[in-house]
Amino acid sequence: MPITFASAGSHAPGMTAWADAAPPAQKETLYGAYGHLRDRLARSGTEALIVFTSEHWANFFLDHIGAFCIGRGDSFSGPIEPWLRVDKAKVKGDPELAREIIEACYENGFEPGYSYELELDHGTMVPLHFLTPAMNLPIVPVMFNTLADPQPSARRCLELGRVIGKLAESSPRRIGIVATGGLSHDPGERNHGVIDSDFDRRFLAEMAAGDSERLAKYTRAELAAEGAGAFELLSWIALCGALNGAKGKVVAYEAVKPWATGIGMVEFDGEPVSA
Amino acid sequence: MSVYALQKLIRDVNRKPASREAYFEAPAEFARSYDLTDDERDALLKLDVGRLYAKGVHGLLLRPFTIIHSVSEPDYLKAIRGEN
Repeated sequence: MPITFASAGSHAPGMTAWADAAPPAQKETLYGAYGHLRDRLARSGTEALIVFTSEHWANFFLDHIGAFCIGRGDSFSGPIEPWLRVDKAKVKGDPELAREIIEACYENGFEPGYSYELELDHGTMVPLHFLTPAMNLPIVPVMFNTLADPQPSARRCLELGRVIGKLAESSPRRIGIVATGGLSHDPGERNHGVIDSDFDRRFLAEMAAGDSERLAKYTRAELAAEGAGAFELLSWIALCGALNGAKGKVVAYEAVKPWATGIGMVEFDGEPVSA
Repeated sequence: MSVYALQKLIRDVNRKPASREAYFEAPAEFARSYDLTDDERDALLKLDVGRLYAKGVHGLLLRPFTIIHSVSEPDYLKAIRGEN
């Protein structure tokens, strides 16, 4: 069954924690864009959501870092941040889908870690808050190491996405994929607050064009130049792989200074039950 | 010299309530159970944000650590940018 829903979007904690610090027009645009994606997801009849997301030292530390980790728990709690202004929730997992993803990875040249105990931070809970506010859609988190050096290469992320996308398409179930993170931002680092809109718009255009080859060539230096948080775009690149280079559409982009992040969203064609 | 032990201490304080309580109760004693250099221990106990950052503590460990010490964002950024 074709992937029923696919989108990529930012997860800056300011979007919920200090939402009103943003200029009202920017907030309205971005909340409207996430609302559009929420409606589309609801119409798609998606039964389970694979979430390509970032680890922010919530689950892992330098005592044990892997490039990717698949969440195969029955449920996942979050957010870990009491200040996020997102209600604490237990989000249902999908252990069977997680097992299928892990097996597909092992059969296709990837050996990701897996965990029954992942906790969710803003990286997952902010997008879920907007996309599935009732938190009633089972998820399989796929955590990317976007913090500890070295991170997996863009090409490997693209290829991992291809494996997971193929698995999702081969499933008789209605599966969606969401990528979260980015765009340019440098949280906790010297350039915190610096947003490179030119880069952000270019990256969004490449995502919307499904330009796999360009996306796979992003180097560590290119991403690092856009702030430490830009490594989260590796999950977006994986989404492009999962969709096999399908074209999409930029839903919105705003450089939001009070949220210290270039915030963007891209949607891709799924197969709506009714549109 | 790896900054691993220093980051481990900071991450434990950030993420583990029991560690956080023990740290705030007796910081020097808490720090003794981590293999810190003298300079790392000194920077930690003085909450010398600029020095901790320069030693390589990751921003997403250091910023939450300073938030629980009530360091404002402008003060934090000045410190890591060496503007103090």
